Amino acid sequence: MCGIAGLFRFDGSCEDPSEQVTGMLAAIAHRGPDGAGYVVDDGFAMGTVRLAILDPAAGLQPISDESGRYWLCYNGEVYNYRELRETLVGLGHVFRTACDTEVVLRAWIAWGPDCLTRFNGGFAFALYDRQRQELFMARDRYGKRPLFLARHGETILFASEMKAFLAVSDFRFEQDPQQLASILGQWTPLPHQSGFRGIESLPMGEWARVREGRIERFVYDELSFAPTEAVASEGAAVRRIRAQLTDAVSLRLRSDVEVGVYLSGGVDSAIVAALARELTPHPLSTFSVEFEDAEFDESAEQRLVAEHLGTRHHARRISHADIAEACPDAVYHAEVPAFRSAFIPMFLLSQRTREAGIKVILSGEGADEAFLGYDLFKETLLRAAWSELPEDMRRSRLERLYPHLAHYGPKDIAAVTGLYHQFSAEKMPGLFSHELRFQNGQFSARLLNAPGDPFAEISALVAGSPAFGSMSAVEKAQWLEYKTLLPGYLLSTQGDRMSLAHGVENRCPFLDPSVIGLASSVNLRFDDGFTEKRLLRDAFRDRLPGAVADKRKFPYRAPDAAAFAARRPDYLDLVLSESELANLPFLNAKFAQRLATKVLTKPAEEVSTKENQTFLFLLSIALLDRFFVQRQGLGQAVGSSALPPLQRAVDLRMEAAPHASQGNLASLT
Amino acid sequence: MDKIRDFIEEQFLIEFDDSFPEDSDLFKEGVMDSFGYVQLIRFLEQEFDIRFTEQEMTGDVLVSLVQIRETVARKVAARATG
Repeated sequence: MCGIAGLFRFDGSCEDPSEQVTGMLAAIAHRGPDGAGYVVDDGFAMGTVRLAILDPAAGLQPISDESGRYWLCYNGEVYNYRELRETLVGLGHVFRTACDTEVVLRAWIAWGPDCLTRFNGGFAFALYDRQRQELFMARDRYGKRPLFLARHGETILFASEMKAFLAVSDFRFEQDPQQLASILGQWTPLPHQSGFRGIESLPMGEWARVREGRIERFVYDELSFAPTEAVASEGAAVRRIRAQLTDAVSLRLRSDVEVGVYLSGGVDSAIVAALARELTPHPLSTFSVEFEDAEFDESAEQRLVAEHLGTRHHARRISHADIAEACPDAVYHAEVPAFRSAFIPMFLLSQRTREAGIKVILSGEGADEAFLGYDLFKETLLRAAWSELPEDMRRSRLERLYPHLAHYGPKDIAAVTGLYHQFSAEKMPGLFSHELRFQNGQFSARLLNAPGDPFAEISALVAGSPAFGSMSAVEKAQWLEYKTLLPGYLLSTQGDRMSLAHGVENRCPFLDPSVIGLASSVNLRFDDGFTEKRLLRDAFRDRLPGAVADKRKFPYRAPDAAAFAARRPDYLDLVLSESELANLPFLNAKFAQRLATKVLTKPAEEVSTKENQTFLFLLSIALLDRFFVQRQGLGQAVGSSALPPLQRAVDLRMEAAPHASQGNLASLT
Repeated sequence: MDKIRDFIEEQFLIEFDDSFPEDSDLFKEGVMDSFGYVQLIRFLEQEFDIRFTEQEMTGDVLVSLVQIRETVARKVAARATG
């Protein structure tokens, strides 16, 4: 795993960009502490900080072809690189390393952007064609690895994390109220959003070409839930799930360093751990977050799985104080507003993982989206069928839906029935499945003075997606999850950004395209969807403790406002003091202050989900303003962060046009 | 009856005024969610010693402050005469 950063100038400036690019790389050094490298050309520079996982000795970056025409900075893993390598060797390509980076380079040379559909993995890269003075950038299908682009005068900047732009001396961050409204509304940034004006995230499944100062974007993968195979029976479905997931885990165990597993206590990560245990020759290390607050703790199930599989289990126990203390650092790494605090324990868990000497982990992320694990899908099924269901059926399904929420008990079920009735017909075109959730978002959008229509952007996104209109209600719900919560929070704020903050790479077998295709082929074919992930559970029931195989979905959460109320850290001034709030003129200071005061003084049980959510948004927006806009309080985080050992520095400026050599290969290896 | 207004303002962190009149649809304005709706029903039943019928709760009668007031007033009156 790595971080990449670079810049492309169009003003004909001859200024040496190497200092700028090394500054940018230093700001994301946490992503690749093992080494750094960069390449410089006229008006162009890019580099990599590298976490060495495959072929640690030979995989130095940037790499180029023999002619020195193509240069690649690459972040991520293409898990099927061995198969692709074989194909490329068959086409006459000669390889110098055993690393997947070189496979990506040669695949691009062989197939151009068509190579992207052949890749199975999580990746983001920048590829420079020196001869044509063009830069290509691409991201994986599901948004596993990040890539941000910013236009800065006559320069285009790009980086794995926006904090790299802090190293660009006259670059100014500015929070964009219009994007914030959308983020608050739908809980996470949309695929192209960053929260900051002028910074774009390259959406998943897309590639971009930069030439003559223009950025063009192209889609190479449209998200689809069309069945990919014919599955005749339930028995066949279970067998296929078993086989496909075994393959997906096996591919993701390809590593020259030891791979561990994050255990959440749920069934998905337990399946991944069980398969990893079977497929690895060495003892397996597992890692979990435990909570002092019993409401959130799943340590009993985590330990049960660890004992059952005989893993070396490591737990990081989280207190309210831990959350309050680590929050600013975690928000700094997350870079975008967050709607809950659950990413903060993951920041601490990756620290623990790294301390244990593990730099690659597998997790169960993506299972709920593929196999319809979330209550949201059941809720959508129920609401979509509402008008045709008899009263008693509506009630019994509602009771099955939310047993873990006290207010959904028998006493209040009539009130909830009333609420669902309100939401049984589509009000926002295309967004039916998420309308209840967006209620909370609409409340959060009140943080802004002028939120406009927080759902305008997401409405435009679904309207502009060719396949979306013909999807079923549940598929639309899935599509929205794959475009919002999964990439915009779970894989990023809670995933990549937290694990890479401590140089740990996270891999997700459930994000294998073949697994998603198979899930789409079996979902709702053999059951009504109201026992979530039934086929998946059945496929692995015999390898897991019963209590876990049949455990109901327990959303991973952490104490929200209560953690801050208990500790009252100094930085709460940012959201309580009038003068601090005045620094954020786009905020409705009165509402913000009222909200913050309420959630920090009322007992936790009197604070609603949407209030917790809105408070976390407020706090993270205020902290982001401090770090990125004001450039204050960065402490150790940036500025003082050092470039990892420089292993390769290539200066092409003295070279004739591409050919012959690898440039002035001032390799410092 | 201003107790209802106070409860809603306190519970949902809003202030009724010209820009947010009392006949605003609390669902459409994003003020009410499932948690809040249940709390509101509980509050009204306790405070005014009334019981909402299923039809009232599942119908569209409790969506704005104005409607809530009217419904409560009607039920309190019915209780007094009944």
